[in-house]
Amino acid sequence: MVTNDATILRIKHEILYEVAKLAWEGNLEDGRDEIPYVISPGPQAQYRCCVYKEREIVRQRIRLAEGKCPTDRNTNNVVQVINAACEECPIASYTVTDNCRKCMGKACQNSCPFGAISIGNTKAHIDPDKCKECGKCAQACPYNAIAHLERPCKKVCPVDAITYDEYGICVIDEKKCIQCGACIHSCPFGAIGSKTFMVDVIRLINAGKKVVAMLAPATEGQFGPDITFASWRTALKKLGFADMIEVGLGGDMTAAAEAQEWAEAYKEGKKMTTSCCPAFVNMIKQHFPELLGNMSTTVSPMCAVSRMLKAKDPEVITVFIGPCIAKKSETLDLNIQGNADYAMTYGEIRAMMRAKNVILEPEENTSQEASVFGKRFGNGGGVTAAVLECLKETGENTEIKVARCNGAAECKKALLLMKVGRLPEDFIEGMACVGGCVGGPSKHKAELEAKKSRDKLIAEADQREVHENLKHYDMESFSMHRH
Amino acid sequence: MRVSICIGSACHLKGSREVIQKLQKLVTEHGLDGTVDLNGDFCSGNCRRGVCVTVDGTLFSVKPETTEEFFEKEILGPLKEQGLA
Repeated sequence: MVTNDATILRIKHEILYEVAKLAWEGNLEDGRDEIPYVISPGPQAQYRCCVYKEREIVRQRIRLAEGKCPTDRNTNNVVQVINAACEECPIASYTVTDNCRKCMGKACQNSCPFGAISIGNTKAHIDPDKCKECGKCAQACPYNAIAHLERPCKKVCPVDAITYDEYGICVIDEKKCIQCGACIHSCPFGAIGSKTFMVDVIRLINAGKKVVAMLAPATEGQFGPDITFASWRTALKKLGFADMIEVGLGGDMTAAAEAQEWAEAYKEGKKMTTSCCPAFVNMIKQHFPELLGNMSTTVSPMCAVSRMLKAKDPEVITVFIGPCIAKKSETLDLNIQGNADYAMTYGEIRAMMRAKNVILEPEENTSQEASVFGKRFGNGGGVTAAVLECLKETGENTEIKVARCNGAAECKKALLLMKVGRLPEDFIEGMACVGGCVGGPSKHKAELEAKKSRDKLIAEADQREVHENLKHYDMESFSMHRH
Repeated sequence: MRVSICIGSACHLKGSREVIQKLQKLVTEHGLDGTVDLNGDFCSGNCRRGVCVTVDGTLFSVKPETTEEFFEKEILGPLKEQGLA
């Protein structure tokens, strides 16, 4: 996968690995101070201005790996700025490059409504005090000589939560941040990360607790055509997990409950949204609170599976594993009872496995927990397809119109329309990541890279219906609604 | 009112889940679902004082068996004073 942050991903993984190794051995307290010297041995710096800065960045990353804030500034956000790593990218946004021929046409100057452009000795110049960033000059220049410089983190944030302090260091406006994690992998300096529960999970396994892993529906295909859920179960059991379960099963459960809700709402003429994507839920809570009454009260697939496991055994500790950062924030919402205790990313679980020399090996699936519809919850449009299937199975009207929002920008647009009463569709499927969960910030492979393997693995599953599948589970033992 | 309970491994082993379940029950029983916002917290390093519970920024040390007393004194009490419960 080609990313902006390939080198950083490697360093991040090395740090998670070192932390995991010490945590498994029970030596984290004594050993954590050594890690910066392992990663950046010196005397020469590898990437930054000096080895001392590199080691400070490593120290901040270790804090994040342990679930702490990178500095002593304690905040509740899952997504955090590693301020030592932020390189204070230039904020000035329109800049004239060397492509400028200082031509006679001067379309840039003529197009600027604010008189911000003057012609210097060698090229045009934009006065930052006058420039209003309308971009007309960049469109007008026949040489493409005017570049739009934007901080990569700010550019990708769908809710405009990225700001700066007086030194130009990135600051996240936590009232706006929906924990989607888009900024994390956009930063070419790796200056944004998320707190992890990795050390907690390792300590609970070491303490002999019954910890069950719940794997995201997006998992199939992420690690190649031969890595099945059976491969994961074997590897996770070697690691010390008591068992592993497919969250796709929760997809079936959520679809069935949501179909009932939608059928009723449709008869009443009430518009509704899905509630399974945690970043989308955060977007409604923080940016469209007036629409909370339109949000489905059905719990997420993660929560459904966790409740089912806890109804069977109240002692069990449930850990979600997937490509999602916002799931970490969902586990922190304790107004929802019985949800997953912890959420982790593929990168974090891989570091835990590597630290114990456990690898994923090809293995044939011998059982299937989710229907194909539940499995496809991780794809954009998958939730709608599953809900429509449930409506069909129960003989309800399937002629409903759904706005399938692919990515946070589309979610925002649809919610805005819903807010002013102009949404043409009856329902909104909100997926904060483009492509759905398979496009999540902590994916192992890009959506298209994984597609072939994913399609192959899902094609191997049988064609059972959603309700037929759920007959095998005690759906009366727990509630499918938030309260 | 924002109430945060540490869900780190040290607090978990000291009974944070029981504290959470009791608080969830007490909040619902007193009809405070929209008033009290229950949150989980990552470990803040105060493990010796666990189970760590923060009420609007102030740290308290709670045990499963002292949860009811804590709820009366630090959550219900102040809310009654503010006329919210």
